Amino acid sequence: MTLKKLRIGLVCPYGWDTPGGVQNHVRDLAEYLIAKGHYVSVLAPVIDENAIPDYVTSAGKPISIPYNGAVARVLFGPIAFSRVRHWITNGKFDLLHLHEPAIPSISLLACWAAEGPLVGTFHAAAKRQKAIFAIGPILEPVIEKLSARIAVSEAARETLTEHLQTDAVVVPNGIYADRYRDGEVRAQWSGNTLGFIGRFEEPRKGLSVLLEALPIIARFAPDVRVIVAGPGDSKDFEDQIDPQLHHRFEFLGRISEKDKADFLSSVALYIAPNTGGESFGIILAEALAGGAAVVASDIPAFVSLLGNGEYGALFESENPQELAKVVIDLLREKDKRLSLARRGKEYAQRFDWDVVAENIFSIYEMALVGSNGISLSSENRAWNRFLGREGD
Amino acid sequence: MERYFFLVLFVIFALWYLSYSATRLDRLHHRVETSWANLDGLLQRRAAVALEIAKSDIADPASSLLLTAAAHQARDAQMKTRSQAESGLSGALGLLLNDGHLVEGVIERDLLRELSELTDKIRIAIAMHVDAVTRTQMVRAKPVFKIFRLAGRAPLPVTYEFEADVL
Repeated sequence: MTLKKLRIGLVCPYGWDTPGGVQNHVRDLAEYLIAKGHYVSVLAPVIDENAIPDYVTSAGKPISIPYNGAVARVLFGPIAFSRVRHWITNGKFDLLHLHEPAIPSISLLACWAAEGPLVGTFHAAAKRQKAIFAIGPILEPVIEKLSARIAVSEAARETLTEHLQTDAVVVPNGIYADRYRDGEVRAQWSGNTLGFIGRFEEPRKGLSVLLEALPIIARFAPDVRVIVAGPGDSKDFEDQIDPQLHHRFEFLGRISEKDKADFLSSVALYIAPNTGGESFGIILAEALAGGAAVVASDIPAFVSLLGNGEYGALFESENPQELAKVVIDLLREKDKRLSLARRGKEYAQRFDWDVVAENIFSIYEMALVGSNGISLSSENRAWNRFLGREGD
Repeated sequence: MERYFFLVLFVIFALWYLSYSATRLDRLHHRVETSWANLDGLLQRRAAVALEIAKSDIADPASSLLLTAAAHQARDAQMKTRSQAESGLSGALGLLLNDGHLVEGVIERDLLRELSELTDKIRIAIAMHVDAVTRTQMVRAKPVFKIFRLAGRAPLPVTYEFEADVL
C-alpha cells in the first residue's frame, strides 16, 4: 500500500449492533484500514449509542423493514439525512465507501448528498424484484455518481447488471484466514460429524432441512452426529426434534474463535443448508479456510462462492433428500472428501483480508485520481443556501 | 388564476429538472475524464515497464525489438489509435511471458511482478472507464438531453476497446 494516509468514510446501512454479514465486513475493513494508519470514520444506524467503538458515528436508531426475505434494520428520513450531511461536511473525507447503496438507507442518502470519489459495494444477490424495478429510474442518477462499483460475488454482480444496468468489479468479502489455518482436531467433534455454525433458530438458516435429512443419513451412517454452534435457545429447538434423534444432536452455544478453528478442522462435513437471504456466505469462506469439506444449498451466493461446486458440494436448496444423498456420498468416500477440503482450503486464501483489502485499496486509489476530496453535492449546497444554512 | 399557478409550478419544476439533468450529465463527463486519466496513467506506466523488460535479460533480441516497437507505438498513439496500439503491446508482452521459461535475477522478477500488478489494475481501470462511457452514452441518448442539448459542445465519449483477454 502507498505511504499516503487517507481520510476514509465508510457508510454501513444496517444497524451496527445487530448481527449480519455486511456489518462484520464493514467493521473488519474499518479496523484493517485503521491498523494501516488511515483515518476511518463509519456512519451507521446504532441502537445503543454507549456501546460503539470510537470510529463509529451514530446516524440514529434503525427501523425494521422486511427486505430480501429477511428483516433489515435500516434508517432513512429527513433527520437521518441531515445527520448524513453533517457527517460528510465535518469528516473532510478524501473518499467515501458506501455499502449497499441501492437500498433505501443512509448509504443511498450519503450517495445522494456527496460529491467526489465515491466507491460503492453491492452485497445483495437477489432475483429480480418488482420494488427495485419501480424505483430504478430514481435510483439511476444516484448510483451513477459512484466512481467505482464493487460486487462481493458473481451473483451480486449479476443482480447489479440486471437491476441497474451497470457493471462492477468483483472483490469478495474478507476473512482472517490465518485464524483458521491451524485448528487442532478434537476427538469429541471428529468422526462422522456434521457441523453447523449460525443462528439456528432462524428458519432461513435451514437447520430444519438438515433435521429432515438426518433420518435418511442415519440409515446409512448409523453413528452420524450433528454439532451445532451459535447463539440461540437450544431448549426450544430441541423440542422440535424427533425424540429418536435427540442423542445425535449437540449444541455448543456461542464458541470462541479458537474453538471455531478447531471445530472446522474436526468435523467431517460442514453443512450450510440456508434457504436464502444470504448475501455472501462468509461462514463458508471461513469453513473452507478451516479445512472443512463443505456441503451447501445451491442459493446464488453459495454457488458463486463455491465456484459452482468446485470447492464444496452443492445440493438443491430445501430438498432434504438431495442433502442426504450428497452427505452420505461424501461420508462414505473419504478420499473424495479430503480432496474437496484440500482444494477448498487453498482456494479460501483469496478471501484473506491481506488480499481483499489490497484490492479494495487499489480501487480507492483509482477513484481518487484527479479529485479534491468529498464535498456536499451542488444540489445540496443550493438547497442549504436557500434554507439559510451553511453548507460547507 | 389557478391555471397560472399550476403553469408556474410546472415551469419551475421543468427548469429544476433541466438543471438537475445537466448537473447529472456534467458529473458523468467528469467521471469519463477522471477514469480515462487513471487508465492513461496506468497504461503509460505499463509501456515504461515494457521498455525496461525489453532492455533486461528476460527478452531475447528479437522479442526485445518487437516489445520496444510496440511500447513506443503505444506511447505515441493518438486517442483514436490508442486502444489498438495498447492491444499490440499486450500481445507482444503475452508472446514473451507465455513462453513459460524461468526468469532468474531479482531485478527481472521485480519487473515481472510490477507488470502483473499493473495488469490487474489496468483490468479494473478499463472496467471503470468503460462503465462511465457507456453510462454517458446511454444518458445522452435520452430525448430530454438531446432536445435541450444538455451536453453542450462536449464530445461524445468513445468506447475504449481493449481486448481484455489479451491482458
